[in-house]
Amino acid sequence: MRKPSLHIAILEPSRIICEGLQTILYQSDLDCRVHRLETLEELMELLEVTPLDILIVNPLQFVNREKETRKIRKQYPSMSVAGIDYGIIQKQSMLTDLSFTLYDSAEHIIHLLSKLDKKNRAVGLQENEDDNLTKREIEVLTGLVNGKMNKEIADSLHISIHTVVRHRKNITMKTGIRSQSGLTIYAISKKIVAIEDIDI
Amino acid sequence: MKMADLIDANPNLLLMLQHFNIDFRVSDQTVLQLCTAYGISENLFVSIANLYNGLATKEHQTYTRDDLVQVIDFLKHSHHYYRFDKYPQISSYIRQLQENHSEKELKLLEKFFHEYFTEVIEHLDYEDNIAFPYFITLLTNEADRDRQERYSSIEYGDHHTDIEMKLKDLKHLLLKYVNIENDLNLRRKLFFALYELEFDLYIHSLIEETILIPAGVDIEKGQNA
Repeated sequence: MRKPSLHIAILEPSRIICEGLQTILYQSDLDCRVHRLETLEELMELLEVTPLDILIVNPLQFVNREKETRKIRKQYPSMSVAGIDYGIIQKQSMLTDLSFTLYDSAEHIIHLLSKLDKKNRAVGLQENEDDNLTKREIEVLTGLVNGKMNKEIADSLHISIHTVVRHRKNITMKTGIRSQSGLTIYAISKKIVAIEDIDI
Repeated sequence: MKMADLIDANPNLLLMLQHFNIDFRVSDQTVLQLCTAYGISENLFVSIANLYNGLATKEHQTYTRDDLVQVIDFLKHSHHYYRFDKYPQISSYIRQLQENHSEKELKLLEKFFHEYFTEVIEHLDYEDNIAFPYFITLLTNEADRDRQERYSSIEYGDHHTDIEMKLKDLKHLLLKYVNIENDLNLRRKLFFALYELEFDLYIHSLIEETILIPAGVDIEKGQNA
């Protein structure tokens, strides 16, 4: 079965950058439809009528609109966000899944975007909330507590290291615990792992 | 303003006095009299007192070299307070807690604290043995300054570690997750000790970041000019 074409939106007020990205996308193997947007409002309007797979965004559009952006991300969890890295915004990682710069090669950009697409399909509808952590987050946490490295966790769960890092960030955000040994205690208190399984 | 009245308004200032090595029996002395008696500039004293009172220091405050030597003394005294007072106190509370309760995660909590404490000691050692001597050399214009050229104030700023982060973890674990019940007196004492430590660590890093490091950078710039 032929998979449906990707819906990609580019939120970037600069016409030159927009045109350039669109050309790269259309010349690639990705079967996609591209929407061009200039404001966050236009994005919200579009999302009401068309589900998007990937949003390519100038992160400046998110500045001072973090709250709305988070809301959008929560409301449309299946949409991945790729930020264009202009080297100005440091904390974009919270709101974007990955970023590329305008100096990256076309191949590299396409490679990143197709990875996002695959990840979307993989992660899909796994939103089983348990103790505030998702099933996936619990799996990542269990790996962490057992002393596994990001790479090992990524391999055993068949996800990218980047995704593991993202899960770790979310775990920390939800629990308020940042250090690994702190997370171990959390996992035991919450009976996510048994204390017998841990080397003390 | 009388020092005694200031302490009445904010008892945390006692900790500041201790770090300045000023005796608590301040009699009826005003801040100025006290500063003169202990050879501390009023400017520096007020800047640090403001930090303890929750007020930021004015930007572009200039400090004399004598001031900065005293800042380093102050920070050294606070290290002493962490090493020999606050951390042993917290450690003993956690120990007692572990003895009173059978929950196994308390054992891990104790381990967590000890690892954390070890990191803290390493950081304090680093400051005492490397960072502070560097600043002293910078300030006293000694001839062998060049030997330490590879070190810089900026690097010192970079070296600030995640001491505060782990402390937050500990607090969160105790407030939200670890399954202990009752024993409220002991647990309250532990919390108070953790909050006191957190507060003083916070002021400590503010002093480093808003007074010591900018002044160090200024002096280095002056030397390179």
